[in-house]
Amino acid sequence: MRPLWYRQPFKHGFLWLYALLSIYPLFWMISYSLKSNDEIFVTNPFGLPLHFRVENYKTAWESFNVPVYFLNSVIVTCATVVGSLSLAVLFSYAIARMRFRFSGAARIYMIVGMFVPVQVIMIPLAILMRDFHLANTYGSLIVPYISFNLSFATMVFYGFFRGIPIELEESSCIDGASIYRTFFSIMLPIIRPALATMIIFVFLAAWNEFPMALVLISKETLKTLPLGLLFFQGQFTTDWGAMGAAMTIASIPTVILYMIFSDQVERALTVGSAVKG
Amino acid sequence: MNKYLGNKTAILLFILPALLLYSVVVFYPMLQVFFRSLFDWDGLTPGTFIGLGNYTRLFDDSLFHTSVYNGIVFALVITVAQIAIGTVLAFAVAEAGVRGRKFVRISVFIPVVLSITVVCQLWMAMYNPEYGLINRVFELLGISYRQDWISGSKTAIYALAAVNAWQYMGYHFALLLAAVKSVPEHYMEAARIDGASKFKAHLRITIPLMAETYKFCLIFAITGGLNAFANMYIMTGGGPGTSSYTLTYMMYRSAFRVGEYGYGSASAAFLVIECLIVTLLINRFIARQRIVY
Repeated sequence: MRPLWYRQPFKHGFLWLYALLSIYPLFWMISYSLKSNDEIFVTNPFGLPLHFRVENYKTAWESFNVPVYFLNSVIVTCATVVGSLSLAVLFSYAIARMRFRFSGAARIYMIVGMFVPVQVIMIPLAILMRDFHLANTYGSLIVPYISFNLSFATMVFYGFFRGIPIELEESSCIDGASIYRTFFSIMLPIIRPALATMIIFVFLAAWNEFPMALVLISKETLKTLPLGLLFFQGQFTTDWGAMGAAMTIASIPTVILYMIFSDQVERALTVGSAVKG
Repeated sequence: MNKYLGNKTAILLFILPALLLYSVVVFYPMLQVFFRSLFDWDGLTPGTFIGLGNYTRLFDDSLFHTSVYNGIVFALVITVAQIAIGTVLAFAVAEAGVRGRKFVRISVFIPVVLSITVVCQLWMAMYNPEYGLINRVFELLGISYRQDWISGSKTAIYALAAVNAWQYMGYHFALLLAAVKSVPEHYMEAARIDGASKFKAHLRITIPLMAETYKFCLIFAITGGLNAFANMYIMTGGGPGTSSYTLTYMMYRSAFRVGEYGYGSASAAFLVIECLIVTLLINRFIARQRIVY
C-alpha cells in the first residue's frame, strides 16, 4: 500500500501548510531576536541568523525593565492562582456537598459571572479600585483577577465534587472526623486532577491578561509583562532585535508550560465547553 | 448526616469569602454599568441623572455605528475562519495514519498560550510596510502587491481580525478535534458501506453529532469578536481615523480618554445586551436536541 500522504496530497498539503503558517511567525520572531537590524531588514529577513547575537537578550534584560515586569507577572500570577483556587474550591464544596437552603441559588448567582465579559465592567471596576485605594498596587490586579476566575473555577470543581460518592463523607463522619478534616484530608486529594487543570487555566489567564492591567496600572514599577511590552507605543521602536528578545523572554514561561503539559493545557483551556454548553 | 453536612459555621466559612469577593468585584460593577449608563457622569462627581439621554446620543453617534459595524465584521471574519479551518484541520488530523499529527497539533495550539501583546506586536512587525514579513513574501514571489495593511482604512479591520483568527485557531481546533474523536467510528463505517462518500458522511453524520461543540465554538467566537479590544488598542489605536473602532474600544476611549464615564457605560451596556441576544439566539436555534442513535 502506498503511504497516505501520497494518496491524499491535498489533505496533507493543507495540514502542513496551515501548521507552517501557524508556527513560522514564531520562528521568525525568535530568529530576529538573534539578529542585527541590518540582517533583519536587508541581508537575511527569513532564515536563521547567520551569527547568533545573544547580546540582544542582554540588552532587552538590562534596558527595557524586563526583570521588573517579569517579577510583577510572577507575583500577580501566583497570588491569583492560589487565591482564586482556594476560594473556589471551598465555595464549590459547600454548594455541591453540604446541605443548606440557598445552595442552588448561590450556584446560579455564581454562574452569571461566567457570561460577563471582563472588559465590559472596566469602568465601574476602575472606580471601585480607586475608592478602595487599591489603584496602582499589586492588589488592584490580584483582587480582580481572583474574582474573575471564581465563576469558572467554581463550576469545574462543582462538577468534580458532584461525582464523588456520599459514602466517603458518611464513613469519615462515623470515624469522628470534623467536616474540616474531611474536606482537607479526603476531598482535596480526590479532586487533584481538577486542581491541576485549573492551576494551568488560571495561570495562563493571569499571565496573559491585558485590558484590566491597562486600566488599573499606570506605575512603571508595577507593570506586568503584557503591559510593559507595549514597545511600539514607546521609545524603543528602532531596535527590533532587542524587542524580539524581550517578547521571546515574555513567552517562555507559557510556551514551556505548554510543551511539558500539552495534553493538560489543551484540556484546561477547552474544559469550558463542557461547563458552558 | 444532615447535621454533619449542614454545619452552619462551616458553610458560612466556605462560601462567604468567595461570595463576598464575587459580589463586590464582579456582580456589583455589572449592575453599575447599567445604572451609570443613565447618568451624565465624569467619574469624580456623583453625576446627574439624564434617563436614556446617553442612549439617544449613542444611536445618533456615527462613531457608534462604525463601532457596531466593525464588531460584527470582526466577529464574522474570525468565526468563519476559525470554524471552517478548524473543522478541516480537525477532520484531517483525526484520520488514521496522518504523518506528523503531534507537530501539527502543537504548532496550531502554541499561539493560544502567548500573550496578546506579543502576538499583536509580532504581527505589527509582519505587517510593517517596509520590512514586514508579509510584504517581503510577496516581493519574493515576484508579486508587486505591497500594502500598508493596518494603516489602510479599508483593510485595517480585516488585518486585525486575521491576527485574532490566527491566534485562537488552536483553541477551536482542539475543541473540534476532541468532538470528532468522540464520534464512534462505526457510524462512519456504516455510512461508507452504504455508499456515502467520505465528505458526505462527515457532512451528514459526524458534523450533526458535533452540534454541541459547534454551538460552544460559535458563542465563544462571536462574543469574543464583539468584545474585541486589545487588538485595536495595541495595533491601530482605533485608527486610521476611527476605522477600526469597536464598542469596547469606544467605551475605553469615552471613559479613560475623554472622561465621559456615563457615555462609556452606555456603550458597555449595549455590548452586554448584544452578546446576550447572540447567545440566546444560538442556544435557540442550534443543537436544541441531542442526537441519539
